[in-house]
Amino acid sequence: MKRCSSLLLAASSLWLTVVSVPARAESRPHYGGTLRIAMKEAPQTLDPAAAGVPASVSRLVFETLVALDDRGCPQPLLATSWQSDPGSQRWRLFIRAGVSFHDSTPLDSATVAASLRNSNPQWKVSAASDMVMIETESAAPDLPAELALARNSIVRRSDGKLSGTGPFAIAQWDAGKHAVLAANEQYWASRPFLDSVQVDFGKNDHEQMLSLDLGKADVIEVAPESIHRARAENRIVMTSESEELMALVFAHDPGSEDETHARNALALSIDTAAVNNVVLQGGGEPSGALLPNWISGYAFVFSGAGSMNRARQERAQSKHVPAWTLGFDASDAVARVIAERVLLNARDVGITLQLTNTGNSDLRLVRIPLASSDPHLALAELAKALQLPQPHFENETTADLYSAEKVLLQTHRVIPLLQLRRAVALRSNVHDGSMPPDGIWSLSNVWLSGEKP
Amino acid sequence: MTPDNDLITGRCPLATAVYNARNPEMLCSSSRVCWAWCLLLLFTQFARASDWRRPEAQLAEKIAAVTGPGVVALEVANRSSIGTSEADQIRRGLIASLASSGVQISEADPVAATVRVTLSESLQNYVWVAEILPKKSDASVAMVSTPRPDSAVNPQPALPLTLHATQLVSQPDPILDAAILEGNPRRMVVLGENAVNVYEFTDGHWIAGRSLAINHDRPLPRDVRGRVVLRKDHLFDAYLPGLICRSTNASPLELNCSRSDDPWPLQTEDFGVSDFFAPTRNFFTGALVPGIGQQKSAPAFYSAAALPRGKSALWIFAGVDGQVHLLDGMNDKIEANIRWGSDLAGVHAACRQDWQVLAISAESGTNDSVQAFEFADREPAAVSALLQLNGNITALWTARAGDSATAVIRDSETGNYEAVQLTLTCGQ
Repeated sequence: MKRCSSLLLAASSLWLTVVSVPARAESRPHYGGTLRIAMKEAPQTLDPAAAGVPASVSRLVFETLVALDDRGCPQPLLATSWQSDPGSQRWRLFIRAGVSFHDSTPLDSATVAASLRNSNPQWKVSAASDMVMIETESAAPDLPAELALARNSIVRRSDGKLSGTGPFAIAQWDAGKHAVLAANEQYWASRPFLDSVQVDFGKNDHEQMLSLDLGKADVIEVAPESIHRARAENRIVMTSESEELMALVFAHDPGSEDETHARNALALSIDTAAVNNVVLQGGGEPSGALLPNWISGYAFVFSGAGSMNRARQERAQSKHVPAWTLGFDASDAVARVIAERVLLNARDVGITLQLTNTGNSDLRLVRIPLASSDPHLALAELAKALQLPQPHFENETTADLYSAEKVLLQTHRVIPLLQLRRAVALRSNVHDGSMPPDGIWSLSNVWLSGEKP
Repeated sequence: MTPDNDLITGRCPLATAVYNARNPEMLCSSSRVCWAWCLLLLFTQFARASDWRRPEAQLAEKIAAVTGPGVVALEVANRSSIGTSEADQIRRGLIASLASSGVQISEADPVAATVRVTLSESLQNYVWVAEILPKKSDASVAMVSTPRPDSAVNPQPALPLTLHATQLVSQPDPILDAAILEGNPRRMVVLGENAVNVYEFTDGHWIAGRSLAINHDRPLPRDVRGRVVLRKDHLFDAYLPGLICRSTNASPLELNCSRSDDPWPLQTEDFGVSDFFAPTRNFFTGALVPGIGQQKSAPAFYSAAALPRGKSALWIFAGVDGQVHLLDGMNDKIEANIRWGSDLAGVHAACRQDWQVLAISAESGTNDSVQAFEFADREPAAVSALLQLNGNITALWTARAGDSATAVIRDSETGNYEAVQLTLTCGQ
């Protein structure tokens, strides 16, 4: 395993040299220091099973049984190996020995099973000596990849407290505002270089940039529309591949053939290239696909290019076009601008949209982060988030993935608009940060220069 | 617009779920089996990547199934990492395969269909997509996918010494240090994180022999370091953070490891100075044993080199604070103008009276370069040209006799760790 994994690690590190900020090649990593992060999200809990918890933070504290490598392939983490029956319905995972939670409780199969039952009530999970057994209702060939999702992190819940096995433990927690994570001295995969990580939540883009400029933060998020400017200002910026889908989602299936034509007309009327160039300053990529091309390889087949002529032709085939309400996240200034442009484009082909902030709208402008770099799982999770029918896969081929994605698009419930990238800006004293394709930045190997050990 | 199933798949073959199938960790229970397996895997991956005949034939077959025999227009676009010349080869191969299925290519009308082939790729696969646009029926899509492959010395003249690098061993696993045991046969011990591997020099090559396991009862720190020190009363000691492994002197060679915070020798044993290595970190604490003259401590440091000065020595420390410290037994002088890296080693070129210090250049870009200096009047003077390396140095230790140093370089292209012997010769 060591040699095989080293080959994988070698490949991984080659990739890192391309996208990560290069550390001073001539210097060894320094131990010590506090990394200060400012971010927009304001989670009320760090429990990875809850919605809205930033994975970049929760993964510092909680670990999964399996991790995906830079090619989206499952690799051992808290599980050392796994097996399934030929139908991929019953799985056995062997638990790593010598791992402890931050509260010093040893990791065992019973705690792992309890954690997985909590996040997946539909699974039958049982524990036996050094392994857990998972039984799913139907074939689950992607179960190892699913176990790598942050929501399947192994959490010990005791007296309302959460404990993980990750490189950092929760030292302070002020819901939605602030967290301090302290290095886990006993971490099974080696103590991190940093002594602690301090996270300030709920900071808008302007506040984050100010924190970076004033030296109050070492790492901040950069919105897609600000990537271009941040680079022009010579900031150190790391970007991911496209990892967030921006789309319009209808609340219901089309009620008639007329409405299907109207929805097609709306999709064709939107000038996504202009939205990307003007509103997002090139921080995204127009797309007619649900999955980005780097993960599927065929996204260009689903053209996202608007065409007024074709939009008008579709519109002409619809005798009655309903007036739709378009909802968007009122706290997202960019979403408002994009919604307004969609409204104007739609008006040009005779479709009436009305913007609304209420929860009850006919269609919504949404942003859905990519859940996994495993393409089949990513599509299934996207469908879940968009409240579309679950895709049905016949096999593991790319062609089958394409067919499943096409079926989802043919529901006419979703109009993909753009694939957005994720980015962070760093101070120059932050070394060896990496931004994997899925956009969940990794801090376990980060170190700070100019810090005393 | 429904494509046929592609016949070639490339999704994480090692982790595919099959009853009682083992994941990579289980497959690689034996290092030889693992090596063979990995080589086979690499070979097959490269073989597939460079031999496009199979996907060409498959895609041609799928296109022909839609268009039937006849004349079509073909457009091929490359939006993958495949090179232009290779993409041209694929285009020609595709045309040949289509021809053998009865589909002829023409750029002039009338054609039965236009076929737009895009050479694309995903995280795991090359994905070739054919969008088939017949004149008289609906468009359709066909696709195939095939797995993507996983991904010196240059001395300059005009200085008195020339720095040479001789490769000893290269491997994917981290190397912490390596040392050559002169004798008959010549042997080499290579220290890794979990084992000492013994090589024998046979027919001009280092041949891998025994592997002596090192068991840890606690995790090693990140940026783990280790050193092999050759001994007179037994073959060698291997120092790792919080652990010392002592070899036997007789055959069969064995290794006895135990927890220990004993100080590690600095430079060579002859200098008689040791320092405690922080067991959970990547640096020396600076607590000198027995000391340098009147100085019993140095600032915490990553590496040290000693330059003899009569009966004493000038010690140079690459401090954790990023500064170069000079200790002469009385004073600790910080050389703020010296911009060296974290690793230093003292060596002695046979043709020179003074010892030299090998230091990593701070001027290097992605890859490190190393250079020899002498200290006249406590100012470093380069005595060799920069030796550009093919990666970053992860370890640099003075060899037993002080006439060379062992460096470990992580190759920036392959990711492999290479142990090299650095020696200085006079003239060009």
